[in-house]
Amino acid sequence: MRSRVIVYSSLLWLSAVVMASILAPLLTRFDPLQPVGPPLATPNGQWVLGTDALGRDTWTRLIYGARLSLSAAISSALLSITIGGFVGVISASSPHWVDRLIMWFSNALLSIPGLLLAMILVAGLGPGLATVIMAIGISGVPGFVRISRSIFMQTRSQRYMETSRALGGDSLWIIRYHLLPNALSQLLSFSTVQIAWAFLGLTTLTFLGLAGDPSTPEWGAMLNAGRLHLIEFPHLAILSGGAITLTIMSIHNLGIWLSRRTDPTRRL
Amino acid sequence: MVPFPDRPQYRAIVAVSQRILDGLLTAWVTVTFTFFALRIAAGDPLASLLSQGLITHENVEQIRIQLGLDQPLLTQYMQFLSSLLHGDLGKSLYTKRSVSQIIFEQLPSTIELALSALLIGLILGIIIGTTAAWKRGSLGAILAESLSGLATALPVAFTGILGILFVSWLIGGLPGNIGLSSVKNLLLPASVLGFASAGPIARVIQSGLEESIQKPYILAARARGISGGLRLFWHALRPALPPVISLTALQAAFLFGGTVITEVVFSRPGLGRLLISSILQGDFPIAQGIVILAALLYTFSHHLADILAMVIDPRLENEHEK
Amino acid sequence: MKPKSSKHILFILLLLISCMIASCKNTDQQKQVITYGLTLAPSGIDPHINASAELGIPLSSVYDTLVFQNPENGEFVPGLAERWTISDDGFTYTFSLRDDVTFHDGTAFDAQAVKTNIEYILDPDHVSQKASLMLGPLEDVKVIDSHTISFRLSEPFAPLLDSLAQVYLGIASPTALEKWGPSEYQFHQVGTGPYRFIEYIPNDHLTLERNPDYAWAPEIYKNDQAQIDEIRFRFFEDPATRSLALESGEIDIIGEVPPYDAARLAESENFQLYPVAIPGQPLQFFFNTQNPPTDNVQVRLALIQAIDRAFITETIFGIYSPVAEGPLSASTLGYSSNYPYPDYDFDQARSTFQNLGWEYDEGRGQLLKEGQPLQIQIVVPTWGSNPEVGQLLEAAWEKLGLEVSLEVAPGFGPLKQAHDSGNYHAIGINFFGTDPDQLRSFFRSDGFYNWSGYQDPVLDSLLDQAVQASLDLNKRQAYYDQIFELIRNEALILPIRDYVNLVIARSNIKGLRFSSQGWFPFLIDLSIEP
Repeated sequence: MRSRVIVYSSLLWLSAVVMASILAPLLTRFDPLQPVGPPLATPNGQWVLGTDALGRDTWTRLIYGARLSLSAAISSALLSITIGGFVGVISASSPHWVDRLIMWFSNALLSIPGLLLAMILVAGLGPGLATVIMAIGISGVPGFVRISRSIFMQTRSQRYMETSRALGGDSLWIIRYHLLPNALSQLLSFSTVQIAWAFLGLTTLTFLGLAGDPSTPEWGAMLNAGRLHLIEFPHLAILSGGAITLTIMSIHNLGIWLSRRTDPTRRL
Repeated sequence: MVPFPDRPQYRAIVAVSQRILDGLLTAWVTVTFTFFALRIAAGDPLASLLSQGLITHENVEQIRIQLGLDQPLLTQYMQFLSSLLHGDLGKSLYTKRSVSQIIFEQLPSTIELALSALLIGLILGIIIGTTAAWKRGSLGAILAESLSGLATALPVAFTGILGILFVSWLIGGLPGNIGLSSVKNLLLPASVLGFASAGPIARVIQSGLEESIQKPYILAARARGISGGLRLFWHALRPALPPVISLTALQAAFLFGGTVITEVVFSRPGLGRLLISSILQGDFPIAQGIVILAALLYTFSHHLADILAMVIDPRLENEHEK
Repeated sequence: MKPKSSKHILFILLLLISCMIASCKNTDQQKQVITYGLTLAPSGIDPHINASAELGIPLSSVYDTLVFQNPENGEFVPGLAERWTISDDGFTYTFSLRDDVTFHDGTAFDAQAVKTNIEYILDPDHVSQKASLMLGPLEDVKVIDSHTISFRLSEPFAPLLDSLAQVYLGIASPTALEKWGPSEYQFHQVGTGPYRFIEYIPNDHLTLERNPDYAWAPEIYKNDQAQIDEIRFRFFEDPATRSLALESGEIDIIGEVPPYDAARLAESENFQLYPVAIPGQPLQFFFNTQNPPTDNVQVRLALIQAIDRAFITETIFGIYSPVAEGPLSASTLGYSSNYPYPDYDFDQARSTFQNLGWEYDEGRGQLLKEGQPLQIQIVVPTWGSNPEVGQLLEAAWEKLGLEVSLEVAPGFGPLKQAHDSGNYHAIGINFFGTDPDQLRSFFRSDGFYNWSGYQDPVLDSLLDQAVQASLDLNKRQAYYDQIFELIRNEALILPIRDYVNLVIARSNIKGLRFSSQGWFPFLIDLSIEP
């Protein structure tokens, strides 16, 4: 039941987040690391959203956090998409037994819950934001292998491909004008799902304390920090938690909307 | 393969055994991957013990041999597999207690949480999904739908925090000790986790019900004057159930991550908290043991769910990959 | 339909009955139980082997020690030893032991038991992390007769009685030590104290039960017998959950409550705040003198000047902690306030760096030398709000123009690992203790915890002499004064705050008192007011 309202508000929120990431220094005069006022101050004229436990401006940290969390999620998702996409295409283009082997292996990996898979990797490599990004990226690979493989096989088997071939079009032309656009649009919508998933996984791992430097203004870490004085000063946790939730919802909604629009089997 | 007559019951047996075999192989791949990933990523497990002074430079080689860490990786892997089959998951690097023992101690608390959450999730999901489908267009349905959307989108960590805030606001401070400690300690975390898993369940129930309400036999039953009521509801619900069962199995994966988070937020003892602390402290045998257990359980529940779904709806027998 | 409904009714009846039985059981026993929260889950809880302070909270009441220290005046009073003599040269301590004491497992307490304990502690295979260090230059333990024992040192050692008064040198049953061995003994501990060790499930709970046979309470205990029948300990490593656990009734007492929560709970009439000053080292950071740029004393001084220590203390700890001014906190024996640390002077700090050749680049907001910023790495442990202090240090030094990275080590092991790698410039570590000699392992060139890496024979000899002048307090103080001056002039540490443990207990809990080390409660004195 995705009405226009939902899609538009998702777009609105996401643009706000992206703007915040890009324009961060212009939107606030404070430094996200520096204490600027009394700790745990309630929102007022000077500090729009109050201060955190160490006196740092919450609005500033949220803005810079947008940049960090978003770019981290996109990097992870890119990692999953490139590696997963690559393996998926290879698998679909290989002899049948190789294809089955790869798919079977990646399905087996899928049975390790994604979060746990990422945690094993962090366990081995040690805590840190870079490690978390990599771990989430790698744990998203098996899922995307499947997706990219099926997109590839699907597009490859379209009726018009045979027609083009029959008309004598060479492979490169087919790839450029038929395969790619079609696959790309599907890829795009699945990628957004991947980004949403990466965002959730990333903020979860940082929430659990696996991200190293605690002063980094990352939304998941801020949510965790907000637990310390929860009853008296809930605004920290609510703001960061709300931001995370809205972002995930928006990306997700966008992805579903995109997939509806680009679904080649859609009957109108 | 074997010249069985092609009768339904034999097909069922073949399908089930295929599933079991697939499950075992998957389990093996998972275990192998976990083992190698940890070993390769982590480097020398004795380094941290050495730097803490828990072992000395003189001892370190001796202990290395004792723990079998001087063998080539492949040999270690073989030994690991054989001990695994005997239920031996190794020993904690720090306390030297058996990992299986440690996990066994923490297991009840986690299982308690996971099962309660699953139950609550199912009940909530059915209620929400049914409300959304049964009374379409009413205020209740709209609320139910937004609720299921919210439940799916809210990260578990945030839900937990909101839960704590809500309860303390409701009771004007947290409830005092009224002697029902263990139930109360379970209720909030299980509800939080249950609520989160109720989202997808509600969706599936809703779409399944919407479909089956339109089915001819339901309309016919209503036309014949069989009043709405539990019986009718059950008939409408039944076709919607198989996807719920396989969803529940998938929920198991979500629940593993969810229990870790919930245990941390509510500071409940259990495997989740143990996993985090063993990762942070570098006690690899424990982390490895928990992940393997989780993966094995997930594989098991996944395949079990497939088998159950096949039993309930024999048409699904031949479906392998979704 | 009929059979179905009667089955239902039967089931419900059974449920009701079992509920009633369960609730009956609860009201039957009027057992007095207290639940105590612990804030760290140590990797091992054998006090003879492990170094954690947390383990002492329950275990100080499971063991008795040869002597006890009066928390009010610091005097040593008889414990398992009725009296003792110290030879004039300070080399030999002879203890006359009580003959009416038995261990919880029935073994009789005698001099041989004490000797077995010392051997267990000093056994190199057992790798004792604290107890063995506390015995110092102990050369030999001789059983003179069944209830007389002598300790011979290779040189005078002032802190010996202080060591012997702590749980790490509590006397355990030799039968149990031999039966279980060093890895398993921690789960089956047997002492002579007012409480018996019942069960320990790591990270989950630890249970103690009253010892009804306890008849040899030292004079520092207000009660001769424990009042509370059972004390259960549960773990709350996550600071955010401690006040929640108190308010929800899950626990009755817990320490290390975060300052804001403590302030809030203190105002409620349901709870009582006990701020306990912990003697020993303050929360502090050691500079790595082996790693540039902190190998330069001027850099270290500038780094100290760039920190507003009062601001940090007030922001994080509110009104509860005094600012630290030296390597010992104000409540410690030997503390001197004559050597304060450089005041906060941001501009002076910056100009020091500029004088040393770094230029301040406005655009990047950094101090650069040949285009390279100055990198500082801070490592902090997770306890005692260290991560928060670390973040404020990072903020201050970043403002100065340095490039700072902060690492939180999730346990003592990883902390030590970080130290071993040498890749830090400032590391947070502190120990507690009532004797200033604890400084020796931190500041001697070969000290086990010499994490500043500072090597100076002058400092070494001062530390040695201070401990050898065991019987003359004034002489010792003179040495320590010189030591403090040296440490301050060389800017080896950045002291932040004196440790104050914020303990919150339910208002109906009475008698909560702590030992002179500050951490360890006298569980025997606890009572619940109806």
